Amino acid sequence: MVDRESAADIDAAAARWVVRADRDGDDPGFQAELEAWLAADRRRSGAYARAQAGWKHLDRSSVLAPTVSGGSRLRRRSIIAGLGAMAAGVTAAVVVPRLLVRRYGTTLGEIRRVPMADGSVAAINTDSEVEVSLRPRLRAVRLARGEAWFEVAKDPVRPFVVESGPVRVRAVGTAFSVRRREGGSDVLVTEGVVEVWTRDGGAPPRRVSAGERVFAENDAGVLTPPKADADLGRQLAWRDGQIVLDGQTLAEAAAEFNRYNDRKIEVADARLADKRFVGWFRINDPEGFAQAAAATFHGQITQREDAIILRAASGS
Amino acid sequence: MEGRARVTIWLGRHILPHEADLRAWLKQSFANAGDVDDIIQETYCRLAALTQIDHIEHPRSYFFQAARSVALEQLRRARVVRIETVSEMESLNLILDDPSAERVVSGRRELERVRGLIAALPDRCRRIVEMRKIEGLPQREIARRLGVTENIVENESVRGLRAILAAITEQDAPARAKRPRVSSDGRSRKRR
Repeated sequence: MVDRESAADIDAAAARWVVRADRDGDDPGFQAELEAWLAADRRRSGAYARAQAGWKHLDRSSVLAPTVSGGSRLRRRSIIAGLGAMAAGVTAAVVVPRLLVRRYGTTLGEIRRVPMADGSVAAINTDSEVEVSLRPRLRAVRLARGEAWFEVAKDPVRPFVVESGPVRVRAVGTAFSVRRREGGSDVLVTEGVVEVWTRDGGAPPRRVSAGERVFAENDAGVLTPPKADADLGRQLAWRDGQIVLDGQTLAEAAAEFNRYNDRKIEVADARLADKRFVGWFRINDPEGFAQAAAATFHGQITQREDAIILRAASGS
Repeated sequence: MEGRARVTIWLGRHILPHEADLRAWLKQSFANAGDVDDIIQETYCRLAALTQIDHIEHPRSYFFQAARSVALEQLRRARVVRIETVSEMESLNLILDDPSAERVVSGRRELERVRGLIAALPDRCRRIVEMRKIEGLPQREIARRLGVTENIVENESVRGLRAILAAITEQDAPARAKRPRVSSDGRSRKRR
């Protein structure tokens, strides 16, 4: 009989796998090795999940890391270096009020307006998840998924920082939206000024002003300077449950409706997909949109339970 | 992938901090069930397999119940006569009855605790964990800045992770169990 691996040995090995996965996680060879290790004993999966949870949990300490204006990496680093000492001090501090992390989620098609205790307001778009933790020196918001717009109450001693993957957006009193996308986050500023940077700090924080938008890449931060965009109001029409089209292609419009509805619009015809359209629609009325589009471009609609298919009318 | 990442975060935030209490309770109630460590690992294995966590309103209770069923199964498998003693049931209810315990994890306190745990690590180990988790630097970059091999960075990271896991799940068990509440008698508080 083979000796049974002790729980302590498994725990030790699991910790190493977790640290390695943090570095080599994307490597297929490593993945295979890890899978093989896990598959050999159920307890290993448990120990791995536990160690991974602990490792991930440490990320929580990072929310407060860089909230420095001016973008000097040196200053940032010295602040981080002082963090250990600070943490010790904070832990010893007197009783702090209990501050809960509040989580707000929306399902597909749901839009939620959430007033916060500090007077700020968040509008949370479809299929999104936001965590809010209001602390004495920092208002920390985590966008786990989706999109949200924030109208931030002014409070110079309590910056408002949105964490969207590795991307960070900081504001004092202003209004802006953040949308998580693959590879990065879109930031649209409707009022005031925000600063955008990434956790890895590859580039200095970038200032983005009212009327501008910027895309921050997860790996590289803000590569292209903020662009003025006269169209922000239209793009934020979701806050009122609307989709406003002003020269978008039917393909783009369909993608927009599909963010909100189970019943997906498919533009099954390349000739139609590129047509540009103007109109005002309710977010939950994909059918109305499809009919209007069909009427305008001589298309026809096929209704299915899970989809609305739009194609060019035969013979046109 | 998204779902798994969420479960991992949930485990760290809402389960891990209760492990110390769970261990203490398991030792008390299931001395016959074999190794507490085995029960814990099997329990995490089941929790990690969850695809949905939104329906779990009371993670602490869920954690205890899951561990309890693992322990009972192990008893059965070991062909020990299954004795679900009154005391075991009672002690579970008592533990789960304490409403303040469920909230232990969600406060600002937990965040400070995490920072405190990092700060308490030995010097080089702390520096490396900070660079990795707070500054988000890759391993190679940390090695370059500290002038050590990547191997050392990896070893120190593992060491830090294990120390922190131990701190979260073991060392402060008695401290938490004894922490005074507003009214020290949990039962008399229920109806008043």
